[in-house]
Order: sequence, then C-alpha cells, then structure tokens
Amino acid sequence: MSTHEFALAASEHGSDALFYIGPAPVTSAVVGLWAVMAFILLLAWLVTRRLEMVPNSRLQNVLELAIEGLHSWTSRIMGPERAWRYLPIPATFFLFILISNYSGLIPILPHLPWYVPPTSHWGVTAGLAVFVFLFVQYTAVKETRGAYYKHLFDPPLLTPLMLPLGIIEELVRPFSLSLRLFANIFAGETALSVMIGIVAAIPFLLPLPIFVTALEMVAGFVQALIFTTLTAVYVGAASEHHH
Amino acid sequence: MISSIGLFAAVGIFSLALSAIGGATAQGRTASAAFDAVARQPEAAGNVQSALILSLAFIESLTLFVFAMIFILAGRVTG
Repeated sequence: MSTHEFALAASEHGSDALFYIGPAPVTSAVVGLWAVMAFILLLAWLVTRRLEMVPNSRLQNVLELAIEGLHSWTSRIMGPERAWRYLPIPATFFLFILISNYSGLIPILPHLPWYVPPTSHWGVTAGLAVFVFLFVQYTAVKETRGAYYKHLFDPPLLTPLMLPLGIIEELVRPFSLSLRLFANIFAGETALSVMIGIVAAIPFLLPLPIFVTALEMVAGFVQALIFTTLTAVYVGAASEHHH
Repeated sequence: MISSIGLFAAVGIFSLALSAIGGATAQGRTASAAFDAVARQPEAAGNVQSALILSLAFIESLTLFVFAMIFILAGRVTG
C-alpha cells in the first residue's frame, strides 16, 4: 500500500460502500451500527423476557445496577426527578457507545472488511451529537417556553458582544461532542493496529498491545461516560425552570 | 527537495507532539490539584473524582482534535 493509499484509507476510514440499498450506500460503519443495535436488542429481549420484582437472573441484576448507577449519576446533574424523565436518552447513549467502543477491542472484529466500531467513524458520532443538539432545542422550547435562551442576553448591556458568542458556543457543541468521541476511539484503534504491526515484526514486544488494550478499556468507558454526562448537562440546562 | 507529503508528515508529527506536551502538562496539573483536594478533604473524594475524570477528558480531547485533523487533512494533501 502506498503512502497515498494509506492516507486516503485513513481519512475515509470505514466509508467505502459494501453494497447499495436503492441509492443509499451501505458502509462498514453502517453494518457495525446494525451489529451493535442487534446486540443491544438481543440483550434487552433477554432481560425483559422474564422480568421479576426481585430479580433472580444474573443479567437482570447487572442491568438494573447499570440503570440505577446511571440514574444516580445523572441526578447529580439535574436532580432525581428530571433524571428519571430524561434517563432513556443518556442511558441509551451510554450503552450504545460503551458496547461499540468495546467491540473494537475484540481481537478479530475490527479487522474484518465489513465491520468498523461505529463510534470510530465520524458520521456516526456526528449523528448522535446532532440528535443531542436538536433534542436540547426541543426541550428548551417545550419545557421552559424558551426561557433557556435568556442566557444568551444575560448581561443586558453586553448583548451585542455576548449574543454572537453564545450562538457560536451552542453551534460548536455538536462538533466538539462528536469529534471528542470519534477521535478518542479512532486514535485507540489506530494505536492498537500500529502496535500489532510492531509485534508482527518483533514478537518480543507482545506486552505493548496488551497495555494499549488495557488503556483503551479505560478510555472507552470514560468516553461513554463523558458523552452521557455532557448530554445530561445540556438537557439539564435546557429544562431548568428559573424562578 | 522536500515533497509535500514529507513536509506534511513532519509538520503533523511536530504539531501532535506540541499538543501532547500541552495536554500532558495540563493533565498533570489537574490531577495534582485533585489529589491535593482529596488529601485535604477525603470525604469529598467521590465528587472530586467525577469532576477530575470530566476535566481530564476535556483536556485530552484537544490533543485528539489535532490527531483527527491530521488524519482528515492527510487525505487532502496526498489526494
């Protein structure tokens, strides 16, 4: 592979079409998205098949622990009441991002031509971030009748200065939110594949990819938590009633 | 005679190293301040820890923005 081909492959990581459904190209990132979705649906079906008041199955226990942990985490940001109301969105994001991040650490999976961990593809994280942006605007209008936008005019004297800054800040959010997640996971995948290449040449350096994998396990969890937390912070700010 | 790809690679590596220095310094300061706070008030460890993770991720993302930009621009330079 020439330098040119490598750079092109890196910049369009996971974006060449595998096949077409009508006019829509299906890329390996989309297939990865389907795989993660199927896994989460299977998990949800397995858990909710036999729900019990006092959970007997191990799986139900684990997921109840996860949901309660996420609830206590988000209620630190927006209070327990609103945390229950808005929990489905941050919790879904957390589960999806975590499973997607960890799917990149399964040794063979990311090197298959038809699979890319969805969150290592900018298109996927950008989609998530745009949804967060739109949901924040929807919440601000529906819950507080636009009172959220008052912060744009906060010091009345400085409005001509602060209004453009506030609008830019609001519009930059989806960029930073999506770029942070994508860059972290993509950097991890790249570092891992480089390390594996080094081990193929010098087998003596085997601990190197193991160390990177351990680092990526922490980073994958933290990035999922960051995305969830920031979603909760934005939604919490948009739905806050000022008295 | 330096090719544009070679120049881009040199500049890219250098800017990544520069942003890594900045990020490492900032993360070190953040972590040391957090540990100071925990040492002073061990009962606040939980709150400090969650704030620490959040701020470390914010700092780290700046370095990774540079990394992502290099990859995205690499396709333009060589393409």
